[in-house]
Amino acid sequence: MDNLERYRDIVPDYEAFKAIQRLPLFGSCRINTLKIQRAKLLERLEEKGIGYRAFGWYPLGLKLDVESPGKMLENLLGYIHIQEELSMVPPMVLDPQPGEMILDLCASPGSKTTQISQMMNNRGLVIANEPSLARVAPLRSNCERLGVLNVAITRYDGRDFPRGPFDRVLVDAPCSSEGRERKGPGTISRSNCTKSLELQKLQIRLLQNAVRLTKPGGVVVYSTCTYAPEENELVVRAVLDEARLEEITIEGLQSCPGITQWSGETLSDDLMRCARYYPHLNDTGGFFVAKLIKN
Amino acid sequence: MSPSSSRIRNVFEPLPASEVAVLWQSRFGIPEEVFSGYQFFRKAKSIWAISDTALPRLSFESLGMRIMNLKDQPWKPTTCALQVFGKHATRNLVHLDENQALHFLEGGTQEIEPDLKSDSSYVEMGYVVVFYRGEVLGCGLYSHGKLVSQIPKERRASSEQPGR
Repeated sequence: MDNLERYRDIVPDYEAFKAIQRLPLFGSCRINTLKIQRAKLLERLEEKGIGYRAFGWYPLGLKLDVESPGKMLENLLGYIHIQEELSMVPPMVLDPQPGEMILDLCASPGSKTTQISQMMNNRGLVIANEPSLARVAPLRSNCERLGVLNVAITRYDGRDFPRGPFDRVLVDAPCSSEGRERKGPGTISRSNCTKSLELQKLQIRLLQNAVRLTKPGGVVVYSTCTYAPEENELVVRAVLDEARLEEITIEGLQSCPGITQWSGETLSDDLMRCARYYPHLNDTGGFFVAKLIKN
Repeated sequence: MSPSSSRIRNVFEPLPASEVAVLWQSRFGIPEEVFSGYQFFRKAKSIWAISDTALPRLSFESLGMRIMNLKDQPWKPTTCALQVFGKHATRNLVHLDENQALHFLEGGTQEIEPDLKSDSSYVEMGYVVVFYRGEVLGCGLYSHGKLVSQIPKERRASSEQPGR
C-alpha cells in the first residue's frame, strides 16, 4: 500500500481510504432493460430469495448478495450484466441519445458499450473499437448475450481511429487500474509513477484523437479507474485548447473535484470540474471521470 | 467455390430484409414486420443484423448480432437471435418444465413429449425455439422425440446453480 502514499495530500480522510483497500467489494450488476423490465427482474430475484440493494444514484444498478453472480441464470440469459458500480458512471455522464452516433474508443469487455446501447434503446449506432483480437471475443459475447443490436465492432489502434464525426465519444482509457484493488488485490502494489507516465503518452493520444473525431459541440468523456493524476488531470489538460470541461454531478454519489496542484505544479482551475470517486466515500472502487464539450 | 468468389464472400454484403424474413417466417412463423428496423449483412456463412442506420466507412469486425449460420442445411438460428426474435415464433417451439429447462441450460440432451393438445406444439425435425415460463431460453435441435441443447458453451449453467 506504500504506492498510495503519494496521494496522501489529495485524498480526503487518507487513512480511511487506505484501510478500505483491504475490504473486498460486493458483487454488483446492471439490469439490462433491452431484455427485461426492472420490476420483472426484481420479482425474479425476490422469488429466488436473492438479496439485493439498488444503488442510491442509479435504479438500474444493484448490489447482489450472491457468491458467484456470474453463474446466475439471469446473467447467462442476459437479463443482468455483472459490472462494478462506478463503471456505470461514464455512460451516464456521456448521456447518449437514441439515434445518435457514438464511439466507444476502448470498448472491451463491453460493460460500458452495452450500457450505452441500452440507454439508446438499441437505436442509432455505437462503434465499439478494440484493437486486440483476443479482447474482441468477450466484447462480442457480451453484446450478443445482452441482446445488443446497434453495436458494430472495429479493430483500429485508438490513436489512429480514422474517421468521424461522432455525436459523443467515450475514452475509457487503459490505465494502472489502482481503483480496482478491492476487486483484484495486488493492483496497487504493481503501480507507480513511472508506469503512469508511460501510460500517459498513450492516454493523451487517445483523448486527442477522440476530440478530433467529435462534432463541434459534441461530448467527449474521458475516464480511468485509477487515482494517478498523471493518468487523469494531466491527460485532460492536453486538450483544454480544443474542448471545455463541464462539471459532473450525480445525485447520491459523492465525488471530489479534480486536483489543481500536483508535484509542485499548479494546474488550470478548470480541472476542478473533473470528478474523482474514492472507495471510502461510496463503498465502491475508484474512478476518475471528465466531461468535455468540443469547441 | 472459386478462390475469387470466396474472397468476395469474406466481406459484409448487404442482404435484403425480405430474404432473411422469409426464412424465419417459414421455419418459425415469425411475421416479416418483426425484422423491420434492422439491416442485414452476409459474411462468409453467417448472417448479421444491426439497427437500420447509416454506417460510416470503416473496416468492421462485426456488424450487430450474428443471427444465422448457413454452413449446414438447414440453416441454424443463433441462441442470441432467438432470445430477441424467438418470442414471436408460432411454430417449431418447445415449452419445458423447470427440470427440463435446467437440463437444457446445462447443455444436455433429453427426451421430450410434445403436448398434443396444444396447436403450437407441432414440432418438425430441426431447430426449435425453446421456452420456459413464456421466456425464450435459446436454440434446441429436435429429432425423433429428442431435444439437444444448442446453448453455447460459455453460456451454459453449471449443474450446481447458485441462486437458481
